[in-house]
Amino acid sequence: MGKYRKTTQIVILIGVLLLGGYAIGKALFASDDGGLPKIGEKPPEFALLGEDQEAHKLSDYEGKALVINFWGTFCPPCVIETPEFQRQYEKWTSMGKPFEIIGINLGEDSLTVRNFVQQYGLTYEMLYDKGRKIMAKYGVESFPTTFFVKPDGTIMDIFVGGMTEEDIDKRVTKLLQS
Amino acid sequence: MLSFQNTKCECGHQNPVGTVLCESCGKPLEEAEAASTAPLEMRYDGAARRSQKTNPSIIDRVWNFFSSVKIAVWLIVITLIASMIGTIFTQESAFISFDPDTYYEEKYGWIGKLYYELGFSHTYETWWFTTLIVMIATSLVVCSLDRVLPLYKALSKQQVRKHVQFLKRQRTVYEGAVVGDAEEWVAEVEQQLKRKRYKVKREGTALLAEKNRFSRWGPYINHIGLIVFLLAVLLRSVPGWAMDSYLAIREGETLQIPETNYYLKNEKFTLDYYADDELPDELKGIPRPKLYQTDAILYECTADCDDPLKEPVLEEVSQHGIIVNDPMAYGGLKIYQFGYDDTPKLAAVKPVLVDKTTGKTYGPFELSMRNPQLNYELGPYTLELHSKYLDFAMDEKGEPRTKSDEPNAPAFIFMLKGPGLAEDGEPYMYFPRQIDKEKFSQDAINGDLANRFEIKVPSMEGVTFAGTVSTLNIRTEMAMPYIWTGTAIWIFGVFLGSYWHHRRIWLRIDEGRVLLGAHTNKNFHGMRADVASVLKKTGIDVEPKSLDNGGNRA
Repeated sequence: MGKYRKTTQIVILIGVLLLGGYAIGKALFASDDGGLPKIGEKPPEFALLGEDQEAHKLSDYEGKALVINFWGTFCPPCVIETPEFQRQYEKWTSMGKPFEIIGINLGEDSLTVRNFVQQYGLTYEMLYDKGRKIMAKYGVESFPTTFFVKPDGTIMDIFVGGMTEEDIDKRVTKLLQS
Repeated sequence: MLSFQNTKCECGHQNPVGTVLCESCGKPLEEAEAASTAPLEMRYDGAARRSQKTNPSIIDRVWNFFSSVKIAVWLIVITLIASMIGTIFTQESAFISFDPDTYYEEKYGWIGKLYYELGFSHTYETWWFTTLIVMIATSLVVCSLDRVLPLYKALSKQQVRKHVQFLKRQRTVYEGAVVGDAEEWVAEVEQQLKRKRYKVKREGTALLAEKNRFSRWGPYINHIGLIVFLLAVLLRSVPGWAMDSYLAIREGETLQIPETNYYLKNEKFTLDYYADDELPDELKGIPRPKLYQTDAILYECTADCDDPLKEPVLEEVSQHGIIVNDPMAYGGLKIYQFGYDDTPKLAAVKPVLVDKTTGKTYGPFELSMRNPQLNYELGPYTLELHSKYLDFAMDEKGEPRTKSDEPNAPAFIFMLKGPGLAEDGEPYMYFPRQIDKEKFSQDAINGDLANRFEIKVPSMEGVTFAGTVSTLNIRTEMAMPYIWTGTAIWIFGVFLGSYWHHRRIWLRIDEGRVLLGAHTNKNFHGMRADVASVLKKTGIDVEPKSLDNGGNRA
């Protein structure tokens, strides 16, 4: 009888630890639910149509230092920071570094995007996020938002708002060192 | 808490540590209880709580913490206070989109800021609130288990002949001489009790009568219900079990429901207003919606769902006219009408090209705001769409840009080619809205070309507006049946415990004198009435009130 009592106690306390731990853990991390992914995590996978009419997947860029920039022509800080990204792109790729920038456009049509790309002479990859699904998946709520992803596929930094070339340069230098 | 004590009763029964009343004869054992003359502490029939031990281990200590009703009451009080704090300001979950960083401070001042910073703006989702609930749940299980098993045992092996002290110290007591033969009188009492639907056990001149014992299980059954309820609530946090999201769909549009494989089409949106004669005087002239309805089609994606090069293959699975309180329901998904936005937005125009020198018009051609064609053939002329701006503005450098991706002030730049024009074409800027045309001085921008050509919409028939945006609330509640089950078990337990009372009567006859004690867990008036009526029918006339032994202990 005494033995059964002990077993019951242990079974119930383990059950409480498991279920209660799950509930509390869920609550602890839920505050970030729906928000941006965390630094050190892998960003969510995507497959998007590019300006080159090809499908581009996040996993295609593994092994490279990667900048993912969410933007739209309707967002003034996005427009302002675009030439800075282009300059950075030219700087690091001309040095032969394993580096890519992806601009994810927030649901605009190809005419708008193409004109913008031509206007600013952009040569980095432009992807169309039709219906802003990937934006939602990434928890992006204000534009521009930029993710810096290390070659091992984890997020080093997330920047919300317009960036200057200096802002980008500092982070890319660090990315390429990692 | 418990010092070593001799737990063997004078009747010879060996009781577990913590026993208040001897399990066998009912003699008060606990020191304080034994010394007193007040009515007995009858909780759990005086049985020891299961976990009471002389030498507790760490597990026992944790167990004993949760086994304490005092701790349970404190947990409940703290949770109640926290829940009250959570009702002071609107919780974050009540908003679809807002910035909590600034909202609470702007609306409520410093106290709002503090409220937000302490996390009370999402009280019910915090880790500490969840911890409180988990602790209450643990306490529910442990307390119930520790008490229901000893109680069950105590009630199922009751002795008929109880200790004199046990009987004398019940809240309902009768002592007096027996009328006539003792055995015969007890047999008569048994008959009378049976007529009152008591179950009677008799051992010579000692008797135990009992009814509605099942009502003692009510509280434990309602605890089981609460546990099922809490587990069901926990299930809601499993991905796919609960969803509450919003989707704004323009008439004619099809959108994917986030995190699902479903697509929803707003086939038609109907908005009816009350006519003035249907409204009271003070509301006349104010537009009041009478009905808003979304005729929606639900599709399931069957192939190419995540391939960006292909359109997803959709298969219709449901159709419904969604109005307030009449949602579309399909496969655990419920889609409710939530709101609408009928601000008129241009969808397409049908302009013509006018050659001002000859007065000839070419066209019309269909120019969509969101997905325009790139080339238009108009008689001898061609229009090539060069760029478009949905919400036209100039930035500081004088460069054109768009302020938003809504067609609030659409603008198009065409290259016009044809006879009498430059080989590469000449740029012509076109604002479909008259107000924008004037605001941004379209003619000045186009310069000389404006004197020779004009693109314009000849009549309002050539203008189509985008449909109303319907906002729908999409919900999934897979845990609902379990929540109802928990609630049903709970209410069943509450009924058992509230509407029936466990009543017991013991009596023994020693040397021609009867000693009767009776116990119930509630409604002592009823208990005394039962006893008085049985005594009266067997020849002893007593006032029910005179049976009251005082005390208000259960």
